[in-house]
Amino acid sequence: MQRGDTALEVTDLRVDLGGKTVLDGAGLTLRAGELVTVVGPNGAGKSTMVRAAAGLQAFQRGAVEWMGRPLDAVRGRKLALIRAFVPQRGRVPDGVTVNDAVTIGRSAHLRMLQRATRADQKAVNRALERAGVSGFRDRHLSTLSGGELQRVQIAVALAQEAPVLMADEPTSQLDLGATVDVAKLLRGLADDGLAVLLVAHDLSLAAAVADEVVVIHQGRSVATGPPGQALDAARLREVWGVDASLEMAGGRTALHVAWLGR
Amino acid sequence: MILRRTAVLAVGLVALVCGFAASLALGAVQVPLHDVIDALLGKAEPGPFKQIVLTLRLPRTVEAMVVGAGLGVAGALLQGALGNPLASPDVIGVTAGAGFGAVLILLVFPGSIALLPVGALVFGLAAAALVFAIAWTGQNAGSVGKLILAGIAMAALFTAGTTSLMTAYPDRVQSVIFFIAGGLTSEGWRELEVVWPYLAVGFVIALGLIRPLDRLALGDDVAASLGARPRLVRLGAGIAAALLAAGAAALAGLLGFLGLIVPHVVRLAGGTASHTFVVPASAVGGAALLVAGDTLARTVRAPIELPVGPLMVVIGVPLFLWLLRKAV
Repeated sequence: MQRGDTALEVTDLRVDLGGKTVLDGAGLTLRAGELVTVVGPNGAGKSTMVRAAAGLQAFQRGAVEWMGRPLDAVRGRKLALIRAFVPQRGRVPDGVTVNDAVTIGRSAHLRMLQRATRADQKAVNRALERAGVSGFRDRHLSTLSGGELQRVQIAVALAQEAPVLMADEPTSQLDLGATVDVAKLLRGLADDGLAVLLVAHDLSLAAAVADEVVVIHQGRSVATGPPGQALDAARLREVWGVDASLEMAGGRTALHVAWLGR
Repeated sequence: MILRRTAVLAVGLVALVCGFAASLALGAVQVPLHDVIDALLGKAEPGPFKQIVLTLRLPRTVEAMVVGAGLGVAGALLQGALGNPLASPDVIGVTAGAGFGAVLILLVFPGSIALLPVGALVFGLAAAALVFAIAWTGQNAGSVGKLILAGIAMAALFTAGTTSLMTAYPDRVQSVIFFIAGGLTSEGWRELEVVWPYLAVGFVIALGLIRPLDRLALGDDVAASLGARPRLVRLGAGIAAALLAAGAAALAGLLGFLGLIVPHVVRLAGGTASHTFVVPASAVGGAALLVAGDTLARTVRAPIELPVGPLMVVIGVPLFLWLLRKAV
């Protein structure tokens, strides 16, 4: 896949969950070498859209195309070689080391009883290095901090060596320092040529890292564009119901919020 | 890391071989080890030693091995598939179902005692099938919570059935105690001939599920994004565990505790939860533990046989607690 090639195209997606329409008219486009951030209020359908695109959630209408091929044509392991997915809350099992976990991420490359090769072990090592977690590869997951754990989750996804990385609110539980680490990592991966799709809550973070922002409101994509444009004051008021403005200068971003409405 | 896993597996295998030899040599009659070897190699002269080793102790020892291995693997599969350290063949209703089936034969049809393994097998599998049917339909089909709740409900139902039968036939309850406590018998190959295909299928499915189970460790989303199908894996693990546990119950009564404890012992000793290690090591560990336990049960108060179930608990719990204290 060349930089700029379309990796994922989602159009007019509709998802009903438990009799309620969660998404209707959601869409986005993701290209190689780009980081696209999906933002929106709680319950707007951000996670649902990304999960549907990732093939983890059935949808009632619309189209999901990976590299120009419909989702149904690239199920199972084929899809796992195209996109990796970092969930919002991964399970943290007992007795599993960082190295074990990242090795599991590599399993999409192996058939049922096939053994991992030296090339697979190298891919695991690369993923550990890239995510900055190789220093504690022998520690158990249950002993890691939230920030370390999230970088391990990303390493698990990187071991897949898929050209697309999707992450569902990877920083929602992290402190400022850990959030910055994850942000730098994801931005760096996009600069390396991966297509990165990030669901985020934090608008100033989204604005800082994204090439393009997709705003989801009540199940629809209501805006798509560069952060400064998609997240202008009028849209912040319309979608979040808040008097706020986004400031971007010299790689720094800030969200100025009239917290108490004054 | 790899070294430790290999060491644990090696210790398990050595224990299994020693247990196997001891189980054939020891008992009410002591058979010298060279006579045991001769009998196994077919070089022994016809006589009581050959008779004891080949027709009484060998089938019993093999039963102990397959039952121990089956329960160990069943527990490892369920704990992995349900992501729950408390899982054992009890939680999918197999143990209670098998108990009911056996008690039904023992109390209501005491004349057809030969059907005991069939009854245990059929009702054990039927209970599991009901649990799966409930858990895999409707909302949240295939979720862990639903499966565990359905299992607990079904276990309660079959246990109530067992208790009712025992109340209805108070004069025959004596015959049931040995089965419920769990224990092996020296009745030749007859029971194994009925049960082995079920166990074999269970072991083969287990082998195929090793890597899919590892993927489940990081949660259903990660597993699905890696191309696994979490619900299908869970169903497969449940079916394999049901076959193994029902087969084990048919041979040796209710020893479900082994299925709970063996995978934990193996994980704590090996320092890893990777199924490539846990599943085979649970098979070896379960087999070694039950062969050793059965040998002890036959020898400590010979010629009286102690029920192996309670004895296993007495041996297993201190070992388990010791490992638990050392664990991080």
